[in-house]
Amino acid sequence: MTAGTMQAHPAGEEEARAAITHGQSGMPTVMVGMLLFIASEVMFFGGLFATYFNARATTVGEWGPPAGGHLDIALAGVLTAILVASSFTMQFGVWAIRRGDAGKLKMWTGITLALGVLFLAGQLYDYSELGFGIGDGVFGTVFYTLTGFHGAHVFGGTVGLTIVLARALRGQFSARNHVAVEAVSMYWHFVDVVWIGVFSTIYLLG
Amino acid sequence: MATTTLEPRAAGYRRAWVLDWLTTVDHKKIGILYIVNSFLFFFAAGILALVVRSELAVPGMQFLDEQTYNQAFTMHGTIMLFLFIIPVLSGFGNYIVPLQLGAPDMAFPRINALSFWLLPLGGLLIFSGYLFGGAAAEGWTSYAPLSNRAEGVGTDLWIIGLALVGTASILGAVNFITTIFKMRAPGMTLFRMPIFVWTILVTATLILLATPVLTAGLIALFIDRNYGGSFFDPSVGGNPILWQHIFWFFGHPEVYIVILPGMGVVSEVLPVFSRKPLFGYKAFVFATIAIGLLSFSVWAHHMFTTGGALFLPFFSFMTALIGIPTGVKMFNWLGTLYRGKLVFSTAMLFALGFISMFLIGGISGVMLASPPIDFHVQDTYFVVAHLHYVFFGGSVFAVFAATYYWFPKMFGRKLNEPLGKIHFWIHFIGFNLAFFPMHELGLLGMPRRIADYADRPDWVILNFMSTVGAFMIAVSVIPFLINVIATFINGEPAGDDPWEANTLEWATTSPPPPYNFDRLPPIHSERPLFFLTHGHGHAAERPGDLEEGSEEDAEHRKGVV
Amino acid sequence: MAPRSRLRAIVRIGAPLLLIGLLSGCLIPPDPKTEAAKDVFNLYLLVLALAAIVFIGVEGFLLYAVFRYRRKPGDDVLPEQLHGNNTVEVIWTLIPTVIVFTLFGFSMITLGEVNAKADNPTTIQVDGFQWQWTFRYDDGPSITGTAVDPPVLAVPVGEPVRLVLNSLDVNHSFYVPQFLIKRDLIPVGENGTPNELEFTVSEEGTYSGQCAEFCGAFHDDMTFSVEAMSRDAFDQFIASGGAPPEPAEGECSTTIQLAAVESIRFDTDSIEVPAGEDFCVELTNNDTVPHDFGVVETQYTGEIVQPGESLTYVVPAMEAGDYTFLCTLHPTAMVGDLTVTE
Repeated sequence: MTAGTMQAHPAGEEEARAAITHGQSGMPTVMVGMLLFIASEVMFFGGLFATYFNARATTVGEWGPPAGGHLDIALAGVLTAILVASSFTMQFGVWAIRRGDAGKLKMWTGITLALGVLFLAGQLYDYSELGFGIGDGVFGTVFYTLTGFHGAHVFGGTVGLTIVLARALRGQFSARNHVAVEAVSMYWHFVDVVWIGVFSTIYLLG
Repeated sequence: MATTTLEPRAAGYRRAWVLDWLTTVDHKKIGILYIVNSFLFFFAAGILALVVRSELAVPGMQFLDEQTYNQAFTMHGTIMLFLFIIPVLSGFGNYIVPLQLGAPDMAFPRINALSFWLLPLGGLLIFSGYLFGGAAAEGWTSYAPLSNRAEGVGTDLWIIGLALVGTASILGAVNFITTIFKMRAPGMTLFRMPIFVWTILVTATLILLATPVLTAGLIALFIDRNYGGSFFDPSVGGNPILWQHIFWFFGHPEVYIVILPGMGVVSEVLPVFSRKPLFGYKAFVFATIAIGLLSFSVWAHHMFTTGGALFLPFFSFMTALIGIPTGVKMFNWLGTLYRGKLVFSTAMLFALGFISMFLIGGISGVMLASPPIDFHVQDTYFVVAHLHYVFFGGSVFAVFAATYYWFPKMFGRKLNEPLGKIHFWIHFIGFNLAFFPMHELGLLGMPRRIADYADRPDWVILNFMSTVGAFMIAVSVIPFLINVIATFINGEPAGDDPWEANTLEWATTSPPPPYNFDRLPPIHSERPLFFLTHGHGHAAERPGDLEEGSEEDAEHRKGVV
Repeated sequence: MAPRSRLRAIVRIGAPLLLIGLLSGCLIPPDPKTEAAKDVFNLYLLVLALAAIVFIGVEGFLLYAVFRYRRKPGDDVLPEQLHGNNTVEVIWTLIPTVIVFTLFGFSMITLGEVNAKADNPTTIQVDGFQWQWTFRYDDGPSITGTAVDPPVLAVPVGEPVRLVLNSLDVNHSFYVPQFLIKRDLIPVGENGTPNELEFTVSEEGTYSGQCAEFCGAFHDDMTFSVEAMSRDAFDQFIASGGAPPEPAEGECSTTIQLAAVESIRFDTDSIEVPAGEDFCVELTNNDTVPHDFGVVETQYTGEIVQPGESLTYVVPAMEAGDYTFLCTLHPTAMVGDLTVTE
């Protein structure tokens, strides 16, 4: 490397930082990135849903859990309610911080996180009661893959929520500066929408 | 760095230098890391190609047993595609795109570093199968249920490695698209972006939407293999054709992921060395977008022989349609040469090589779109020839064009031209000798992926020619390596703009400083630098330029992208 | 002037034609030997001619440009900065459009002929497995090949033949280059419908073929040939076969139980027998593909055992020593030590 690269360019660096943090007008850079990431996640779940519908279409005879197993639609319904509710509480938090109400943000994020953890716990309990496993026929395979990878995404969301909560508790968000809250909330809504898809496909469509 | 002060000065400097490269988030250093890493994998996969060609030089098994042979071609394909061509083009994208946009860095520098470092990790995982009882040996397409039943941990490592590499690409794609939409310098409207940036934008979109589907498929395969899943295994109710749908839903956009940035490179190099603008800039942009869109509706043309003929005419038709925007691009390149003043630098030679070789790959591609012809040549050496004319004659030629073109910018020194020309001619002749006979081999009916073949004189001659060509390609790399080393030691200083080029990367020093630009030239067209050096003569020839620009500027300020 | 310009015209038209001829001369598929293959062959020639025109046009212009427009040393004047021309863009969008539509139209016509179904074809079951073929005839013989002795598919000439393509394990592909066609054998499970392939061989003869879909370690061993014969010869062939393999004759004081188990494996990798007397091996095939029993050193091989069946081999007496037994269909995956003791 020549000396040129080693030199610091303070003016350039400052401008660069500014450009990186603020981007140009319109949607914040982080939100663009998050939207694009969600687009790729949509395709990922699209692939998994495709395996589900393919399996359902090519299976001859009864489609459903293997003998000895069952689906607990009541529990799944409760879990759906929990996750949908958590989307609302998340949004209340976002609205709060947009008004500059950091206290409400902490409260709503805490509630959302609790609901997310409750959903995961409920799903694990559900798994333990179903009476069939991932290796039990095509239904078992696609059921556990779809719900499992959704669950993994919920887990990822709770990690994001924990970070948001921790930062909120340290008072790092304000009405002007809360892009992380917006990004995590967008992701959380996405996870919620995927669950509605999973629930409708597996439990309602049958 | 408290510890380094205790070391002798030189060692401390060296350690700091290594640490600097390991922890860098500068898009230029990451770009160079991408390129160096990719070339290392290129040489490894190239050696595997020589192993394969040596075994096939004459009939009978000479060097390998069948399973070793199968591992060699599987690793060759996987590594070349996923760890050489895609990353090396991403590497050039990483280095060049922010510069061409007049941006200080990528939008997410840390994620950029992460997406690079996942690559060597994934690549080594794929290779590490060799240490654990044998690498994956089901072909780079890893068709189920062969891949379900394949024993040994090599295939699992292949799956995990590929999923990592795929994740790296997805993160990289998010970064590229965000950079292109959010980091453009003032005045750099979408329709003033260099074609290379456009191709990277479309490529990144394809990666973003296609790669996650492969990840889903890989996960399904992993579950089948390790947790008793039944996605693909028909003996437990699965559907092996599903794998092919998933794989090719990713796999065909993947072909354009590989070729589009190559087209972008050629569209940068040709105008500079023809001393003319690219003919039909907008037509070229729309053709690129059209190819991107169509690439999602053609995947089943890889599956014509699988029998389920329901949508066969549809996929055949969509595949044939892709020939149209590709043809438009070809004509636009020729239009760029028309009445230009051509300078035959090595970069230009490789770009012209790209056009003439990719043409052959394109033609054989259109032939394969015809189902009755596909029934005959599918899974024969005709397809091997076709894909190498696209991937090697296309993308790899473009990679070398990019290397000779942008090396001066990256390192401040020009690669030696006579050595470059020796490299080009041995490469070009070797390439055709290696791959053209494969067309005929395929038409005669030699299937691909066989370790041994019938002792027929025509097959033997053609195979032998091909092997000689493969070794010529290997030899051609020697002058290239000498060139790179010699240039580092004592290369001709390049200056800021050795080629009298058009785009912003040449408006800064070679190599550029951190954060790239101390000040930017005004941007009124897709050739801001040309505008700067040749001034108003250019503007007068294109009177609409400024007005059109101001309109777009206004639009841009409103945030419409 | 007139003769010279005519000469130039001849060169202008003739040279490309000559090139097309040269190019086509080396890019031609084998002689087509089925009715449909002839159509495919003609389609291919048409496509090749189109390809040659495009190829010569583009590469010709490229070469022309390289020589005509090279920059002279010291020439620093910029060429005209031509940005594009919408009329030309439209024209050269139309050129490939016309070409691909032509190609698509002719392809669909030929596709109809290739996929045509006959009313009463001779139907033959083709089983592909790692790494051999079994050809099964209704009320006729069942032929399984080995790596050294590839199977022969007998078909009547001039009549429609329908192959039912079953895979017993992974994907394979039935490919006869001179028929200009291949079709995959996809394992479809219990309820699926296997692929079919129909053709009418137009000429008596033997045509080689092999598996074209990569199917694992010994993919390259899956060769076979198709023998097209007259109806009489074919009927004779059917009548001659079909009998189950003769049960083995002979007395054995030692009978070894051997089983082939799932995913191409014997249940043991060593067996021990007494020297100097015939011994019996009862092979039970619990795998999904056919197997047999052989001894490498004495080159003994027996009949093939289909999945779910069993067979007793009477192996001639051997001297004491260490030998290797194997399944000749899977000579590397299924081997073991045969110890003959005094």
